[in-house]
Amino acid sequence: MKITILKRKKELKYGAVIASLLSILFGITIYLVIIGLFGVNLVEAINILGKSFISPTIMKDFLIIYVMGCGLLLSFKASLWNIGGEGQFYIAMIPGIVITLLLFNPETSSTTVPAFIVVLLVIITGSVVGAVWAAVAGTLKAFMNIDEVPVTLILNYIAYYLVNHLVSGPLKGKKTYGYLRTDEIPGIYRLNIILPITRTGNQFEEAVYSFLTQVSYYIALLVTAIAISVFTWWLFKYTKLGLYIKIMGSNPEYLYATGVNTKMLTLLIMALSGSIIGLSGSLYLLVEWGRIPYGIQSHTPGYGYLAILASWLSMLDHRLLPVSAYLVAGLRNTGLSIKIAGLGDTEQTLIILGSVLLGYSITRFIADYEVKIR
Amino acid sequence: MVLSINNISKTFPGGITAIEEINLDLYEGEIVALLGENGSGKSTLVKILYGVYTPDSGEIKILTGDKLSRVNFGNPVDAMKHGIILVNQTPQLIDKLSVAENIAITLSTLRSRDHSGFTSISETSKLLKEVSESTGIRVDPNEKAYNLTYSQKQFIELLRAIIVNAKIFLLDEALSYLPIAEKKRFYDILYSLKNSGKTVLLITHKIQEAFDLSDRIVILRKGRIVGVLETKNTTVDEVRRLMFGETNNKYIINNNWSNPEEEHVIEVEDLAVRDDHGREVLSNITFCVGKGEIAGIIGVAGSGQRELVESIVGLRKPIRGKITLAGVDVVRKGIKAVREAGVGYIPDQPLKQGIACDNSIVENIAIMFSSNPILINWDIVKEKAVEIVKNYNVQSKSIDSPVKTLSGGNIMKVIIGKELSYAKQALIACNPTRALDELSANNLVSVLKYKAHAEKLSVLIASEDIDEVLTISDAVYVLNSGRLIGPFQPSKVPRERIEELMVA
Repeated sequence: MKITILKRKKELKYGAVIASLLSILFGITIYLVIIGLFGVNLVEAINILGKSFISPTIMKDFLIIYVMGCGLLLSFKASLWNIGGEGQFYIAMIPGIVITLLLFNPETSSTTVPAFIVVLLVIITGSVVGAVWAAVAGTLKAFMNIDEVPVTLILNYIAYYLVNHLVSGPLKGKKTYGYLRTDEIPGIYRLNIILPITRTGNQFEEAVYSFLTQVSYYIALLVTAIAISVFTWWLFKYTKLGLYIKIMGSNPEYLYATGVNTKMLTLLIMALSGSIIGLSGSLYLLVEWGRIPYGIQSHTPGYGYLAILASWLSMLDHRLLPVSAYLVAGLRNTGLSIKIAGLGDTEQTLIILGSVLLGYSITRFIADYEVKIR
Repeated sequence: MVLSINNISKTFPGGITAIEEINLDLYEGEIVALLGENGSGKSTLVKILYGVYTPDSGEIKILTGDKLSRVNFGNPVDAMKHGIILVNQTPQLIDKLSVAENIAITLSTLRSRDHSGFTSISETSKLLKEVSESTGIRVDPNEKAYNLTYSQKQFIELLRAIIVNAKIFLLDEALSYLPIAEKKRFYDILYSLKNSGKTVLLITHKIQEAFDLSDRIVILRKGRIVGVLETKNTTVDEVRRLMFGETNNKYIINNNWSNPEEEHVIEVEDLAVRDDHGREVLSNITFCVGKGEIAGIIGVAGSGQRELVESIVGLRKPIRGKITLAGVDVVRKGIKAVREAGVGYIPDQPLKQGIACDNSIVENIAIMFSSNPILINWDIVKEKAVEIVKNYNVQSKSIDSPVKTLSGGNIMKVIIGKELSYAKQALIACNPTRALDELSANNLVSVLKYKAHAEKLSVLIASEDIDEVLTISDAVYVLNSGRLIGPFQPSKVPRERIEELMVA
């Protein structure tokens, strides 16, 4: 008897989607088995899991992970492994804080520059700084053939320490009640739409309203996510750059032989990737934080790494990225809910993430290959 | 009977049927030639016999003891254990290792399977010496593989097959690029193997080679066997008819020589170039190619053809010298300017520099035929892709199929098609007909001659195939040990003289 593994001649219909869904089920089942062995109430755990995936609070994480995932996907498709989303995300917040605090006079509560121009400036400079940060790794890769993986990873730590240094030094706020953080961005630059709290007594209506409240609060992120989604689709479908990225990922030597300057292309792709992540960083500042806290890396769940996970889970397919970003955001939400409910620590999310990834590897294998016993 | 293939079929992902219900028996002490046009399924069948691919259906039986037993090969080592060995068109030796080390790896791999231990270098050297004496091929077991010529490497591959005591030798285009003298020595060894009861399956697209060597000719067409002929009882015309069907007479080579103009499109002056190992492989190379002229550079494999064409198109920095191509100072401006000047390039390593196999046919074509710097007009590109696929008879399900789903010959047709369509001033090519069947090769020659005559395209072809160069070229140069000799007019210099210069 011999076991033979063959690639399927025809792709399974909806294979990628089914593989994603089955991997979630697989991951959750493994997780429940493990926590069940430790005596956790499974009914309560399932209830939390279910709610975490449909909770309105998932919105922020989903949008940030999706936008950053789009940025990473651009470089990953070109086989440029930008692991530095974290650093690009945080470093891009610095110009936002500097610009908003410089152009606003707290004494008179006024500014000479219209608010929308300031916001635009924050977003543009954030994107540029993100691009430059990623381009450092791109330059080293293109002109000195230094592997971009360790470089982007090291740049994450440089960004952490640099931002923390600035926050505790030159950018340390004056009205922070002794806390180590920057001053808060004036309200006129914040991009949230806050709906009033409404109680109707109807559970369904309140759930819908709560969802709308989240959407409006993070409307800037939502609009950006849609715009980036359209841009990514357009880039890969209609532009030369999109085609260059795809061919760069499969055979850069061919690309070079057709006359494309692959060194400059490497630099451009890394910069573009970093600029989208930088954009998400500056928006996070304007929409969520409003200030930069000290010890920056411990104030987020590590979006740069979660976005890598989402990107890989989508098999670098931008059409599947919303699904994988939602999945990763849901799991992050689950971790928080588990902690709040006292069923365990947020680290438990890692068990689910690991199990989902394992399940995904298995289901993708089954979707792509058939096993024959001869 | 030593091997029996029954109802073997193989379909690849994407629904491409490579071979269908193949039935073939091989006997002890015979040489069988497997002929077929590009994409006919020759390589797929060989890879199934060698355990690289698993068939979808059917069975392979092999003589074990005194009866045929069914076998399922999971990998090439399984096939080797059953006495089947493959000698490829490209030698599979590891360059950094010595000859003995290369062979010891194969022997140790085989022995590790039956737990009979490791094969030492000294033991391998002894075996090599014995086989070397019996075949008359002189080999230094301690010589590093990178110091060997292409022919020497092919002989080592054959010796390796003899040392592992193979009973069925699969030769996949293994003789195609050997110089005449070496080819004749190879023939002698194959005859002696046949006389000692071994079986040889020779896979080739060269009809003459099949007639020179085989007892039987098996012809594959579109994945099916369409003829099994006794070589002595058949004719070249019959074989050709079975191979190509109704398209047999479609391409007739136009043998008119072009009249090149005075204007030089390719000018090379005092060029010196290093190879990948840093050795100076070309020196004092000076020649020029006129507008509308086809120049051929012939040399045995490893003479520096690849390095020469790569430096001419700007992919390899020369040590010294001057190259002007279509008005571009290549050394200073590089490949980008060369391509922008309308120069087509068919590389020696087509899968490395000529195409992206993971991408579709149309994407590979789009990268070169999109004039807008930002957007791609897919309507125009798709039209171009359909035209190339049609004109060069690329057998593919669709222009959206990934290139990796095509056969080797069809991949080459896509590369040739796009580069010839792209070339407006000059075409630089290395072994362009290497993977093509006779019909496709004739088609290419006709198109090249037309382009040179009518469109005044300047063509430089570097090749190891003397027939290819003599058929195409207006001027022939010989490249030997890094020196260029010529030019010669092919009609005025005897072929034997060219061969002498190649190996002298």
